Amino acid sequence: MQDPFNILVAGVGGQGNLVCGRVLAEAAVQSGLRPVVGDTFGASRRGGSVLTHLRIGKTDWGPLIPKGEVDILLGLEPLEALRAAAKFAGERTVAIVSQTKIPTVASNNTPIEYPAVEQIIGSLNDLCKHVIVLDAEETLTQLGSMKMLNSYILGAMGSAPQTPLSLEAIRESLESLFGSKSVNMAAFDEGAKVEQ
Amino acid sequence: MSGNEAIARGAIEAGVAFCASYPGTPSTEIATTLQKNAKEYDIYVEWSVNEKVALEAAAGASWAGIPALCSMKSLGLNVASDFLLNLNLSGTGKGGLVIVVCDDPRGHSSSNEQDSRFYAKAAQIPLLEPSTYQEAKDIVPFAFQLSQKYEVPVLIRSTTRLSHSRGLVTMGEDLKHIWAARQLPENLFNVPSPHLKHKDLLDKMERISEDFDNSSWNTKPTSKDVDLLIISSGISRRYSEEAIHLLNAKNIDIVNLVTTYPLPRKIIIDAVKKTRRVLFSEEINPFVEEEVRSLALELDEIPEFYGKKTGAVPDFGEMSTDVMMDVIEKIMKLKFNRREQIKSDILIPRPLTFCAGCTHRNFYWAVRKVRKRVKDKLVVAGDIGCYSLGVFYDRAMTTMQAMGSGIGVASGLGQLGRFGFDSKVLAVAGDSTFFHACIPGLINAKHKGANLTFVILDNETTAMTGFQTHPGAAHQEADQKRVKIEEVVKAIEPDFYARSNAIDIPKLVDLLHSTINKDGLKVLLLDSVCRLEVARREPAIDGIAFRINSDLCKGDKCLICVHDFACPAISWDKAVGHPVILDQLCVQCGACVAVCPHDAIKEERA
Repeated sequence: MQDPFNILVAGVGGQGNLVCGRVLAEAAVQSGLRPVVGDTFGASRRGGSVLTHLRIGKTDWGPLIPKGEVDILLGLEPLEALRAAAKFAGERTVAIVSQTKIPTVASNNTPIEYPAVEQIIGSLNDLCKHVIVLDAEETLTQLGSMKMLNSYILGAMGSAPQTPLSLEAIRESLESLFGSKSVNMAAFDEGAKVEQ
Repeated sequence: MSGNEAIARGAIEAGVAFCASYPGTPSTEIATTLQKNAKEYDIYVEWSVNEKVALEAAAGASWAGIPALCSMKSLGLNVASDFLLNLNLSGTGKGGLVIVVCDDPRGHSSSNEQDSRFYAKAAQIPLLEPSTYQEAKDIVPFAFQLSQKYEVPVLIRSTTRLSHSRGLVTMGEDLKHIWAARQLPENLFNVPSPHLKHKDLLDKMERISEDFDNSSWNTKPTSKDVDLLIISSGISRRYSEEAIHLLNAKNIDIVNLVTTYPLPRKIIIDAVKKTRRVLFSEEINPFVEEEVRSLALELDEIPEFYGKKTGAVPDFGEMSTDVMMDVIEKIMKLKFNRREQIKSDILIPRPLTFCAGCTHRNFYWAVRKVRKRVKDKLVVAGDIGCYSLGVFYDRAMTTMQAMGSGIGVASGLGQLGRFGFDSKVLAVAGDSTFFHACIPGLINAKHKGANLTFVILDNETTAMTGFQTHPGAAHQEADQKRVKIEEVVKAIEPDFYARSNAIDIPKLVDLLHSTINKDGLKVLLLDSVCRLEVARREPAIDGIAFRINSDLCKGDKCLICVHDFACPAISWDKAVGHPVILDQLCVQCGACVAVCPHDAIKEERA
């Protein structure tokens, strides 16, 4: 395993990020590794961009991933994934990105046009080594809500060959947070079926 | 645990029994964590009305022999500083008093970028800066011992990245201690000879510097042949270590300082003597840098210094591994291939905004309407809270500085009619801010007859920092008594007072317009709604949805609801040619119904 192994989670508003960071950190501890998780929150709750930096290693590393050093980028939102990739992606970066967009709002009365998702994915392909696009909307709406995207994306990450943590370790960590009966577990299992 | 949780855990292991705080990012979780553990460890924890009161309350406890912790954000220490710069001379008694201040480099959640370490120098009190999660916990018992030994307040400084990131911490023993209050010591004042108290304090600081030299908190250089010595403090230690690792640089060593004021002189002198070049790695200001540079004047040979003073390190913004790599590359003339940040023209910004259904948006919408009616002759003196986002909302807010400064600034502007100032003056504050710092300004405005309108947006909780209780909050703890804003305002007897709500937009526009046209001191108390707080306490209403009627909507000829009102739950849909309501974000507040000039937004019931 690359030490540190760096996972960056990009999202909007915060909750999805916090769950991903918490679950992966716990899975790392259970796997005998030392995680360091840094979140940017605070004012970000008011609909802003949120990044979670997760470093996994045998020793503690700093709370911010240096530029170019991301191993896995989890994009809970396409535009935010691109924003994170433009700043932090490098030669090793595998991006796992949900294609479901969260629109931006106007700033100071100035309208802003959200770019086409295909264009965003195209740019991500230029910036990263490999991009896995998730189309989770139908599955998650059937399961109950898009809010479970975090569990779904963790499933997709767990079955990616680059992931240093086992699918079982991530699943157990998610289960200890939500309970075995939670529909989040179903979302995770659906995510794990995604073709890499 | 996070850096903040580690600090709280350290306080428990130190036997803390009293905690007073005012919430502020990135410090809030320290008191929140102690509050969660209050029952188990028999700790008294309060959210005080402001940081000055918090520090005063904590000092009272310490004087009575009860170990007390007082945590706050950077700006909070400004509020508490008046008391701190007296308490340092008076002493803190036997209990022990530890102040934790969390600075916010880059101002992620702050209105300035302030280095609070200068308060340690101004007050001549010891300063400790943990650089790891483990140290964040371990330093607190040490801080209490130091405070108890010398009877001085001890300042612990953290920054956002330590406070808000998490790592593994090995816990120590629980210390369950039954504390009994003792008689207060004598002479808890500095007159008639503050200068002699000052001298006593300086003598204590001399001894503390020696203690720091003999302590094991600071690292020493491990190698003999050091080409570049980095003196780091706080979380910058990790950035420095990782930069050396990634650059694979040789002959660089680190002295990490945890006891940063007063400096551990011997450690510094010994380390600096062995090298030709010294690089400083610290967050915000060149605090350690300036101290070390002035200490180095005692040396026969002064090394070359690189830091924020010399321009080698950026003197604003956050530190990071990337910053340290750039700096070391330049000094050591190394080359490390890194991909530069890529600019993408499709990368549109995602501005901060009010939550869907937040009534602050309704209020600023009303301000915008009224501003048009008075032909732009309106200034809005703003304040600190969620409603500060008004600065991004059509620039609805004109000024925004410190807690309580909206009404203070307005009380000055409200006197300028005599000089021909012809704009209406509006001050805005939230409920927690009202109690924190608005009451003196409001009384000043009343007493001096300032011509202004003061609007209190009362959502009955400290929403910005995570719903802490305050004197006017709707939900009080069992032993707390609610203080009603309305009663406080009425007691001040403004020339005009009205209570209304920020839900009904047309009514709000008319009330605001008629109020600012009156003379004298006008106060509006607006019942407001924090949707996050509601969602925390009440289940969502099913069966109601809002829809935009495509026959009535004027599509891209209007766009008022999308671009001007800018609720996150309303989005332009290219495919259908008109805006749509996003059900997963909509909280069914219905505010947009009144905003649409074409009556195209309707409530539907399933």
